[in-house]
Amino acid sequence: MYTDEKSHPHQLRQNAIAALKKVIDPELFVNIIDLGLVYEILFNEKSVEVLMTLSTPHCPLGDAIKNGVYNVLSEVFPDREIQVTLVWEPAWNPDMMTGEGRKELFEG
Amino acid sequence: MDNIHISKAPPLRVVIPFYATGALFFLIFNIMLLISANDLMGHYFSPHLLAIVHTAVLGWGTMVIFGAAYELLPVLCENRLYSDRLAMASYVFLLIGIVQLVPAFWLFRAGSLMIAGGGCVFIAVFFYVINVMLTAGNCQDHSLHQKFLVSSALWLLLTVTLGLCLAINLRYPFMSRNHLDIMKLHAHAGIAGWFLQLITGVSVKLVPMFLVAKATKTRWIKAAWFFQNVGLMGLLIDGHLSNSSGRDILYAAICGTGIICWMYFLNDVRLHRIKKRIDFPMKLTMSSNFFLVAALIMIPVAHYGSQTKWTIAYGILLFIGWISSIIMGQTFKTLPFIIWNEHYNSLTGKADIPLPASLYAEILLKYQNYFYFISMAVLLAGILSAQILMIQVALLMLIVTALLYVANVFKIILHKPLNNHVHR
Repeated sequence: MYTDEKSHPHQLRQNAIAALKKVIDPELFVNIIDLGLVYEILFNEKSVEVLMTLSTPHCPLGDAIKNGVYNVLSEVFPDREIQVTLVWEPAWNPDMMTGEGRKELFEG
Repeated sequence: MDNIHISKAPPLRVVIPFYATGALFFLIFNIMLLISANDLMGHYFSPHLLAIVHTAVLGWGTMVIFGAAYELLPVLCENRLYSDRLAMASYVFLLIGIVQLVPAFWLFRAGSLMIAGGGCVFIAVFFYVINVMLTAGNCQDHSLHQKFLVSSALWLLLTVTLGLCLAINLRYPFMSRNHLDIMKLHAHAGIAGWFLQLITGVSVKLVPMFLVAKATKTRWIKAAWFFQNVGLMGLLIDGHLSNSSGRDILYAAICGTGIICWMYFLNDVRLHRIKKRIDFPMKLTMSSNFFLVAALIMIPVAHYGSQTKWTIAYGILLFIGWISSIIMGQTFKTLPFIIWNEHYNSLTGKADIPLPASLYAEILLKYQNYFYFISMAVLLAGILSAQILMIQVALLMLIVTALLYVANVFKIILHKPLNNHVHR
């Protein structure tokens, strides 16, 4: 259904990831990419869709994180529709964090 | 589609009154304690101590816990809070109940004021129980922490029912049993049923979440629920039927086994956490276990000892130690997030905004903790050595602790977004 952008798909993805790294989990102080909350970023000609999860379903800060994703991507991709879709399978667990995320949490 | 999975936390007006009022009652009960310092050297069944204990457990403990529970129920039950209106009604009735009950105890006016106060508290708790049952009941996934939430709510209902009966019995005697025996059951249903099981249940969900750890020892939590309930039911049923306190220690040991199982689980989470740095609020929360263990050790001493100082020290360890330190710690893990969410929810990633933890003054929290731990040590030493001056100094320091806590709580509640939090 979704097709990657024909031109510079890698660059688009890198731009999206760089933007999403600005969205910080307010409790853990680690960005959502390094926390492993973002499962997929899908591009088509008119939209960017992020499939992501939260560390806890019904997390009180879920709306804030979702808004953060929408806000940073709207800034980078002003001409595309931004969709943020929360998924719960697979459920998040600490093993999904990147090495960088673990390091940040480990060092506090 | 995803909306069903995002937090539907109740609005600010539902939860903030509980936190604000609870903080003020924390200060009030410490002032009452200082005024009644001499009572700490006598028997626990004194009008002033009864008033203080009810201010502490209802005005401080239950008030803040209700507020936090209404905020956290959607997280814990993965479901929307059943009713905001019931939550607000529970606040109104709880406050009116306390305002009547505490002066009635202080002046020891058994009668309409005390009974009306007890009745209002009962209604408040009834509303809370309905909200918990219907929020948890609508959920597909009945997990362990939900079991604790439901059982703790039911124990609370039993506690306030017994309390109301005791208030009526003082004015219109109808109980065949000794008033103090029923009071012991009332108190322990509250401590080991309401507070212990609620705290255990909430910690099972939140501690692994805050420390970023996989909770693997869930069998220990099942065992904790079993032992805590069996021990408490044994105490109540046997105590009620046989009127004998001979087996109290046995039931305390069963309940204690449940506490040890829970602590084993918490320690495993602590050891396997990914987040190594533990912040001040979590340190305070985790240190509360020390007070609980000390209170458990104190049970045989208070039970077999003839001096009331051991019972007073037991109560201090539970109410001012264990319950207060948990509430003080968890206030700063919940309240800043509630306020932050209100002001900055839509601005994340879009503007330079503060983090929730910066909504309170860490320096005040630091000094609050110092004053608190020193005052607890001096207070216990003063009670056990019967030194009134030490007790008074400790209570003064506890008032300073409460003032620092209140200042921080209102700093968070009254937080206004600064003008420079503008779009980048």
